[in-house]
Amino acid sequence: MFTKRKKWAFVMCVCSTVLALSACTGNGNGGNTTSGTSSVTDVSSAEQLPELTINVLSQLTSYAGPQEGWFAKVVKDKFNIKLNIQSSTGEVVASRMASGDLGDLVVWGNNSKEYTDAIKGGLLLDWNKDGLLERFGNHMKENAGQAIEANRKQFGDGKHVYGIGHSVGSGEGSSESNKLTFGPSIRWDLYEKLGSPKITKMEDYLPLLKQMQELEPKSDSGRKTYGFSLWSEWDGNSMNLGNIGAYYGYINGDGFNPSDMILTSVTEQKYQGLIDDSSYYMKGLAFYYKANQMGLLDPDSVTQKFGDVSSKLKDGQFFFTPFTWMDDTYNTPNHLSAGKGLMPVPFSEEKAVTFGYTPYGGERVWSIGAKAKEPARIMMFLDWLYSPEGIMTVNNGPKGLAWDIKDGKAYVTDYGWGAFPSNETPVPEEYGGGSFNSGMSKINNTTISSMMINPETGEPYNREMWSSSLGHNPNQVELSWRDAMGVSTQKEYYTNNNMVAITKQTFTGEAPIQLPTDIQQKQNEVGKVIKEYSWKMVIAKNDTEFNKLKQQMMEKAKGLGYDEVVAWQMEQTKKTVWAHNP
Amino acid sequence: MPSEFVKIISPAKKSKRLRKSVKHSSYRLFFMALPFLILAFLFSYLPLYGWIYAFYDYSPALGISQSPYVGFKWFTTMVSNEMQRAEVIRVLRNTFGMNILGLMTSVFPVIFALFLVEIKSTWYKKMVQILTTLPNFISWVLVYAFVFMLFSTQSGFVNQVLMNVGWISEPINYLASDSYIWIKMTLLGLWKGLGWGAILYIAAIAGIDQELYEAAKVDGAGRFRLMRHVTVPGLIPTFFVLLLLSIAGFISAGFEQFYVFQNAINANDIEVLDLYVYNIGIANSSFSYSTAVSILKSLVSVVLLFIANRLSKMIRGETII
Repeated sequence: MFTKRKKWAFVMCVCSTVLALSACTGNGNGGNTTSGTSSVTDVSSAEQLPELTINVLSQLTSYAGPQEGWFAKVVKDKFNIKLNIQSSTGEVVASRMASGDLGDLVVWGNNSKEYTDAIKGGLLLDWNKDGLLERFGNHMKENAGQAIEANRKQFGDGKHVYGIGHSVGSGEGSSESNKLTFGPSIRWDLYEKLGSPKITKMEDYLPLLKQMQELEPKSDSGRKTYGFSLWSEWDGNSMNLGNIGAYYGYINGDGFNPSDMILTSVTEQKYQGLIDDSSYYMKGLAFYYKANQMGLLDPDSVTQKFGDVSSKLKDGQFFFTPFTWMDDTYNTPNHLSAGKGLMPVPFSEEKAVTFGYTPYGGERVWSIGAKAKEPARIMMFLDWLYSPEGIMTVNNGPKGLAWDIKDGKAYVTDYGWGAFPSNETPVPEEYGGGSFNSGMSKINNTTISSMMINPETGEPYNREMWSSSLGHNPNQVELSWRDAMGVSTQKEYYTNNNMVAITKQTFTGEAPIQLPTDIQQKQNEVGKVIKEYSWKMVIAKNDTEFNKLKQQMMEKAKGLGYDEVVAWQMEQTKKTVWAHNP
Repeated sequence: MPSEFVKIISPAKKSKRLRKSVKHSSYRLFFMALPFLILAFLFSYLPLYGWIYAFYDYSPALGISQSPYVGFKWFTTMVSNEMQRAEVIRVLRNTFGMNILGLMTSVFPVIFALFLVEIKSTWYKKMVQILTTLPNFISWVLVYAFVFMLFSTQSGFVNQVLMNVGWISEPINYLASDSYIWIKMTLLGLWKGLGWGAILYIAAIAGIDQELYEAAKVDGAGRFRLMRHVTVPGLIPTFFVLLLLSIAGFISAGFEQFYVFQNAINANDIEVLDLYVYNIGIANSSFSYSTAVSILKSLVSVVLLFIANRLSKMIRGETII
């Protein structure tokens, strides 16, 4: 937390700015600002600013309700703001748009159609209005100036600013931390027991997982174990987990335009149609089909949700995770102290996709609703999220609890080692109570890349990269992994062995192209067919059925306009992404 | 000329008074009906304005005024090629298939009611009726949760029992299966609606003249003969009215049930028209296309209603509209 003096200075700052703003908005912004200021004039602490509840519409969260715990406490103490979070899948945003009021703070999952439509429809606030950005956006201008400029050029005709992208940063190489996003990770203890056989290609995991299943047929709670447990909840226009392109340097789409029906290489100008015979998507389906034939696929995969999978993982009911961040669910202090844990084990042909830096900001956009009450205070809160203090807090919790500063450098406290990354460790009442996990920011969007350097400590915001953390005692599983791989982190291993494919940023100065409605309708129809048949293929009884389903999928998809959609999407990719990244 | 006309037809005071009272009472009737006319207008005719969305490329942020007008584009899209037609036909087939099965099972509540009233023990009768009516008040979401508990592979009751008995060695995923999905859905619907559906029939049975029973008993009819010759004919009119009503509404029936039970494996056979509109349109923001499809739905409903009405006239000599 901050000192009394700082607090005082902050309050004065808030008072004067709110006053200044109300003076220049005049009658235009109506009663809200005026009523806000009259009570602000003689306050002496942040708590005496009128309490403000802001509605946050986030496309990136499945949480709905008031923000709780330590993050809520920090925001309340600092701004006297309460966050009321509204999760939103497609329909919610559409109905809110039709009503003409999107809420106060709006967080977009991507910067394509809905975002641009909202701008066109006048539903988002122009940050230049009343000099909002000029007055309150100092941290943003300083730490993400290019991102603001990019937004101005792409979405505001060079004049208006309607939002700012996420994960802003600059530098070479991967912007991810020690652990990359893509694994795969498998049960390290079992892998070692099986003599750590060499894995060359994706398919080599299957016999290995089979042996693991024989070695450990029952989970902690006595349930049958499997190699994989999948979920369909995240499926868009294809089976989300079926795409194994991310292990071969291919991403779904082109990273810029809406392009669900193609896979593009992030390093070369190459592409595949999603359901081309040799595409990585089809390879993925064949892979999971084989897994199912070998009895390695959890039969609940089609019907269960991500939450079910998480609790199965915690119980140790399967041995393979596609994403390394899932490892933490299994790697609890209990499992680790018993010498059990999931660790990244690559196959030697692997080229894992990892995201490079982008000074222009990523596609997840922060914006303010046109009808927001007290936009100045929302702007201040947003600006704080782009400040070193805000980034440190969102990433690592309130200062003094899980981390602190000693001799100008940040370090993780003992409490922190037990609470990170997102454990159910109880939080003391003075910091907001609840558990560490439940108190994390539910908005679920980032601002500045956590790999950027914090000017106050001279080290990255990411706690894994602090000099004090690097020397911290790793657990037994981690140690044996480091020993066997000859490196200290996954990133190091992948980079040393030339196994990463780093995405390039695309900035054309224009907004991403939108799908015309007829192409979109075709894509919806095709996507539905692909999704449905993909799952059927994965659980097909035999090769004949698998091939028959594959044939049917191709026929139906093509009949519904698949080729047309792919051709249109490829044209856009060539015109924009490839033209700008020769 | 109007004035002459008035002179000719209104010579007598008596008829004038009569006309006045008729006029008066018809106004009264009109005003009594007015609130319901307004309600019908608000809830049944005003929403038809929404059909306009089918003729635009509607985007919620821009509103109808700024969205481009596209004419009949979405209607032609629906039938634009063979596969697209096949999709529409598939969802129509599912809609009809499951609803016809539903109609066929609508005799079960009748049979259930017939036998229920024959039970002499009052407390037992009441208990059966309460237990069978309760499921009607459970939402489909809860029904799904319950069915999932019964049939899931890892912890499902049915799989556990079958495995313990030794009939199967691997758990079967009943929910992720497309076999007999229509029948499964129909049975679930029947379980949920049986007791509720029987209520009207029980009321109808109570309304049958007791003298008919006594007369039949005097003539020597036993219990089953009473049912066959007195109760069943007494129920037929009620049954037909309910049947016709459900035919008229059947194309809109059961979105919720199919929505919670759908998954990638059974989607092909479970996707009814309403669910299709949701999956293609609402979930993916193709609002205009889904409006066009739902107009098709209204047309099919109207056609069905007229067919049912015609059938009713042929069979019973009575129409409902």
